[in-house]
Parts: sequence; structure tokens; C-alpha cells
Amino acid sequence: MLGYYTRLALKSFGRNPGLTALMVLAIALGVAVCIMTLTVYHAMSGNPIWWKNDRLYAVTMDNWDPNQPWRPDWTGPPPQMTYKDSQYLFASNIPERKVVMYSVDGVISGVGSAAPERVSTRLTSADFFAMFEVPFLYGNGWSASADRPAQPVIVLSREENEKLFGGSNSVGRTLRWNDHEFRVIGVLDEWFPRPKYYDLNGGNFAPPDKAYIPQQWGIDLALLNNEDTDCWRAEKVDNYKEFIASDCVWQQMWVELPDAASRERMQSLIDGYWAEQHKAGRFPRARDNRLTNVAQWLRDNKVVDNDNRVLVGLAFAFLALCLINTVGLLLAKFLNGATITGVRRALGASRRQIFVQHLVEVGAVSVVGAALGLLLATLGLAAVHHLYAAAHLGQRGGYQELTHFDVVGVVWAVILAVAATVAAGLYPAWRIGQLPPAVYLKSQ
Amino acid sequence: MSLGVRPILSALLRNRTGAVLVAVQIAIALAVLVNALYIVVQRVEKIGRPTGIDEPNLLMILSTGFTARYQEVASIEEDLSWLRSLPGVVAASAISAVPLSGSGSAGALMPRPGAPPTDSVNHMEIDEQGIATLGVHLVAGRNFRHEEIQPPLTENNASQFVPEVIVSRALAEHLFPHQNPLGKPVYDLLGQSATIIGVIDPIMGNFPDNPHPDWLYLMPRLPAPFFDGVHYAVRTQPGQRDTVLRLAEAHLAKSNPDRVVNWVRPLSYFKNLSYLWDRAMEIYLLTVTALVIAVTCLGVFALATFNVSTRTKQIGTRRAVGARRRDIVRYFLIENGLITSSGVLVGCALALAAGYWLSLEYALPRLNLYYLVGGVLALWAIGQLAAWQPARRAATVPPSVATRTV
Repeated sequence: MLGYYTRLALKSFGRNPGLTALMVLAIALGVAVCIMTLTVYHAMSGNPIWWKNDRLYAVTMDNWDPNQPWRPDWTGPPPQMTYKDSQYLFASNIPERKVVMYSVDGVISGVGSAAPERVSTRLTSADFFAMFEVPFLYGNGWSASADRPAQPVIVLSREENEKLFGGSNSVGRTLRWNDHEFRVIGVLDEWFPRPKYYDLNGGNFAPPDKAYIPQQWGIDLALLNNEDTDCWRAEKVDNYKEFIASDCVWQQMWVELPDAASRERMQSLIDGYWAEQHKAGRFPRARDNRLTNVAQWLRDNKVVDNDNRVLVGLAFAFLALCLINTVGLLLAKFLNGATITGVRRALGASRRQIFVQHLVEVGAVSVVGAALGLLLATLGLAAVHHLYAAAHLGQRGGYQELTHFDVVGVVWAVILAVAATVAAGLYPAWRIGQLPPAVYLKSQ
Repeated sequence: MSLGVRPILSALLRNRTGAVLVAVQIAIALAVLVNALYIVVQRVEKIGRPTGIDEPNLLMILSTGFTARYQEVASIEEDLSWLRSLPGVVAASAISAVPLSGSGSAGALMPRPGAPPTDSVNHMEIDEQGIATLGVHLVAGRNFRHEEIQPPLTENNASQFVPEVIVSRALAEHLFPHQNPLGKPVYDLLGQSATIIGVIDPIMGNFPDNPHPDWLYLMPRLPAPFFDGVHYAVRTQPGQRDTVLRLAEAHLAKSNPDRVVNWVRPLSYFKNLSYLWDRAMEIYLLTVTALVIAVTCLGVFALATFNVSTRTKQIGTRRAVGARRRDIVRYFLIENGLITSSGVLVGCALALAAGYWLSLEYALPRLNLYYLVGGVLALWAIGQLAAWQPARRAATVPPSVATRTV
């Protein structure tokens, strides 16, 4: 029966090829715009480490100005910490893993004849790699004993290892970082969390750093954060010693807490420290010390911005428009063929059969429309990717990172497209089945 | 006229579905058109704000010293004198951050020591050629003199202020409303003071996205190497920018082994990146709006065509009993006009609701009603145009059709 209905549908398309093409095009456009927008939205709103959402927490303390929050449009503590506060909390044994970090630009030289190059380098602590589940291609990270005193060890990103050592296993080789000798102990595999949740200061979709060294190096060499450093207090900061003792925020801190009990202990440790410091005249604002999981962290930092919500709204308005248009076209098409339907009814086809027959026709239109829409969306996203990549001179880390299709997204989009179109076709298919056959058998 | 409309209306009401579908499409199209254009116009205005900077002819360079032998001041002097000697270069200055790039420094600046700090104020360090290099207009006072340029901050005096500053007119107006700012002292958070010696206007600083991108003051000082190194701004004669870029890239890469030149790029690169998302929004909104209009036209056209084709017989009959071609065209256009008008009416409500939601999302002023009026007229015209061809075709139905059976 289905084969027969399909043949009928094809015949019907043949009767009005123009109208059929318009329907397919309307559906395809609606679907394409929706898929493009949702792909970008999905990439923006992703949580790259969702499976650790109940373990991984950003630590923040509100040490800010009593008269105003960190930023005019911000509530809660600033997203980074002071050096002294992060160091105090880092000494705690409550977290299973803990990281304090920032990033700087260091110059890598001394590898063969390669020209010295400035690379973004993360100054972090030993747990970084296990905590954020960073994959290794060669070697490993360093152990906590290399954190302090800082050992001259360096981990390279896969990309940087490619550039410096042609992609070979470089573990054990040496290079110079800011003119100090370092030994390569590990090379990362491809790793590009989007958004860059563990440090949003350099841009939500910025590429990961190209090199990683123990954090104490930054302090020993008096290096400043290359992303954000924010200060509020009127205090004299003439040298690095005064800087690391200041109320400026520039350190990122994350902890891994396996259960509610450890979370409570960590919170009370922070609050206890806050109370002590508050008594000594620091922390002039109301107590607001937070352990924030990744999902909440991404929300607090407004990774998905207003424009994207507007675009999603627009995309759905457009899809609705296309579907309503399709309903109108289908209705017109079916009523145009009402004489034939009348004959079929008169010859004994039930209403149900007429309904199913027309639904098959609708299904065919929707599948073709959805497929074409998917194709258009792929082309559109490729064009967007190209535009963004060109504006970034081919470097990674711009909005072009948002144009990646993922399998789940595509499956959802196709389901959405077909379901929406079939839903749109229900009414015309039902309506045509309701027609009294006699009217259409009469000559006018 | 009312004599013509009533039968059309009652015919319409007897066969509603198609008409309702088209009216809904028109309503959605109006809401999208009006609000999308409103957003686009705001982005165009944002991108088009005056910067006061000679954007097309500026190059930016970032140089970072990385060895113990690196001499900051000597390196800056050598680079600048080489850059200034190049043919095609108008002026060159060391500068602490890239204008319009979204990254730089900001802090409090107050008209009296201890006054409550206002929103943060952008500041840059430049030398005596800085103003000429950026191409900004000095509207009052004077430029920095060569001997006033301070050495870079070091790790022992990092909170030092400068004796003189040049401020933007917007900042001067904010700090000293309706007063002549020249000669007035301004204070930093530590209470150190500087004297205003000049006023520039217009100018946009490092942060196009800030609430006050034109609050800026310039300090006569060579940039400190702490952050990412020293930037140079180079202004070239028109048409010479890319030649100078290639020369600078080749020479600076080799001229000093104790530093790396991270990049030599046109200023437009940074500006484009700052506005990339806004531009993408413009393109995307305009494209989708165009599609919305196209699909709506298609809907109007299809319904009118369908109506004409199912009514061939009636049209023939009307023609046979005396209706002129004009009357037939009029019939279909009035019918379409009724549908479009009801769609537009619903669309106004939808557009206002969407506009209200947007004003909450963006904290922007509510939708300007001129847009709504324009949108209504545009959609009405578009709707009539789309129905024009089918109506003309209806008019060509010969009266003899009435006498035929199918």
C-alpha cells in the first residue's frame, strides 16, 4: 500500500512541479536557518565537562569595592581571585584536586633554527591536567613536588609540538622559555574545550594555551596576567611584591570536591578565612564566597549572549512562517486535486485511506525539504566559518569555533525538521479527507 | 466602495483557511521586518561611530623583549627612528595598547582628590608623535613635547602618575562640565595629580564596547614592558600602508635578537575583529528578513493564484453579466487587501510584543514607532504587488468560459 501511495504522491508532484518545488524550498529554507542558528547556539551553550558538574567548582570571593560591584552589570564576586587569597586556600587539603593559575605570553626559543616565538602559556599547578581531563599524546604532566620550588618542566600543546618538533615525541628535549631552559615532559593530544570554561578572561572561545609550566615560575619571574587584571583599592603598587599582596584580582582557582560533605567543609574554610580577614579590615562588602559548578559558571559569565537568544527566536519565527506557508501551499495543492480525490472516494477509498495517502505525500515533501535544508545549512555554516576564519587571519579561537556540526545536533535538527513538516501537513491531509465526494464529481 | 467590499468580505469568510494562513504569515513578517531592521540600524550606527583616528593608514606592531640583554628604551628609540625614516611614513609613536581592539588599560580619574570614582576611564601612553600618528584633532591646548615624554615605568615605580595629560573632550566635559579644562588638575586613585594641557575630539580609545568609549586620557610616557611588550603605531601616506607593513615585517624580525616582533598588522584588522559579531548580526538579520519577505510574497502569490484558478467559472460569469476587466482586478486586489490588512493589524501587536521582549533582552529603548509605520506600509505594498499578477491573469478570463461545462 505504501508503495502505491508513494507512486500516487510522485504522480501528484508531477502534476504541479512548480508548486512542489516551492514547498520543498520553503521547508528547506526554514530548516536551514534553524539548523544554523541552533548549531551556533548549541556550541555556545555547551558544557564541555558536564560529567563533572557535581565535582568541579570555581572558587571566588567578593573582595571588591564597598561602593560598587566588580563591573556595573555584574553581581556577585569578581571571577578571579587575589594572589594571597588563592594561595591561602590552595594550601588546604580538603579538595581532591586543586588548581590556581593564570596565563602569560612567554617566548619560546632555542629549538633548532626556529625563530623565537611568543606563545600563550598557562602558569598552573600539577592537578590541572587530571582535573580538566586533558588528554596526553606523549609523556605526562608534573607532580605536585614540581610546583614548588618550581621545576623547569614544560608541557606543550599538540599544535606547538607539531611546530617545534615536527610532531615527534619530544619528551626529554629541552627548549628555552623566556630565556630559561625547560625540559619537555609531556605533549597534549588535540584538546579544545568550547567554551574555554576554565578561563573565560581571554574570550569565551579562545584557543587553549600552547604551553603549560608550574605557576611559581610566573611569581619568580614577576610576570603579569596577559588577560585581565582588575584592581579597585587605592593602594600603592610600585613593585611585584606589592602587587601580589594587593587586592587586585588576576588568579583563577578551581577545586574538585567529590561530595557534599567536602563541599561544605571547603565552603566553611573559605567563610572562616573571610571572617578572619574581614575583622582585619579586608573584604568590605557583604560576605559572598562561592563554589560554582561549571554550568552555573557559564551562566554567571553570560557565555550565551542576548544576540543568540534573539537569533534563536528569529529562527523559530522563520520556521513557523515557512511551515504556515507550506500548510497553505499543501491545502491549495490538495484542493486542486480534489476531483481526483472525489473519484477515489466514490470508488470506495475510506477517509482514513485518503488521509494516509496524503500524509505519505506530505512525508515525501518534508524529507526532501529537510535534506535540502541540511545541505543549505552545511553550506551556510561553511560560509560563516570561512568569513570568521578570514577575519582572524586563519588563527583559531574566533566565532568560527561555533560552526562545528556535532552528530547529536544534526540528528535533532533532522527530527525537528521532519516532525515539524509532517505536523504542518496533518491539517491539509485531514481536511482533504473530509470533503464530500459528490461535490467534486459534479461538473460545475 | 462599500458596495464592492461587502460581497468580497462575505465570500472571504465562507472560505477562511487560506486567508487566515496568509494573514498569519503577514503578521509574522511584519514583526520580523520591523524588529530586525531596528536592531540592524543600531548596529550600523554603532560600527559607524566616529573614532577620530586615521584608520585606513595605520599600522600596529607588537615587539616583546625576552632576554636579560634586552634594553627597553634603546630598543624603542632604535625602532622608532628606523620607522620614522621610512619613505611613506607620516609619523610613528610608541603606544601602550591597540586602539579599538577591546584590550587596554582603564582606571579612575577624578576632578578632586578623593572624589567618588566614576566609571573607569581608558588611558594610553604615547609619545610626542602620538597625536599626529593617530591623526586625531587637538581642539584645544597643545601637544606633548619631546622632553616631556617619561621613561617607561619600572618594577620599582609602577604606580607613578605623569605631570601632564591630554584628555578627550567627552572626558573633559564629564569631569568639568561647561568649564575650560585646560590647566585644571586631575587626580588618580592615589591622589597623584596631572595637569590637562590639551583636548582632543573626536576620539575612541581601546574599548568600543564600553559605555563611554570616548572617555580617554593620554599620558606622555613610553609604555612599560610588563604586559605584552611595546606597541608601535605607524601612520603612512594613503596607499603606502601595505608596502610599509612588508618592509617593517622584514626588517624588525632581524634587527634585534633579544626581542620578537609578534605581528605587524593594519589597525583595520583589530577594528574588524571588535565589530565582527555586530557585522555578522547585520548580515544574518538582513538575510533572514529578506527570506521572510520572499516566503511571505510566495504565500500571498500562491493563495491568489489558487483563488483565481478555482474561480475561473465565476469570473467568466461575472464578465458575461457585464463586469469589466478592471472590476475583476479590483475584486482580487480588494480581497487581498482585506487579508493583508488583517494580517498587518495582528502583526502590529506581534511586532510590539517582540519589540518589548527585545527591549528587555538588550535593555534598549522600546521599538521606534516610525519603524512600525514604515513596516506596515511596506508589507501592504508588497502584499498587493504579489497579488497583482494573479489578479491580472484573472482579468484575462474570457466571458465565454461561463457558457462552457468543464
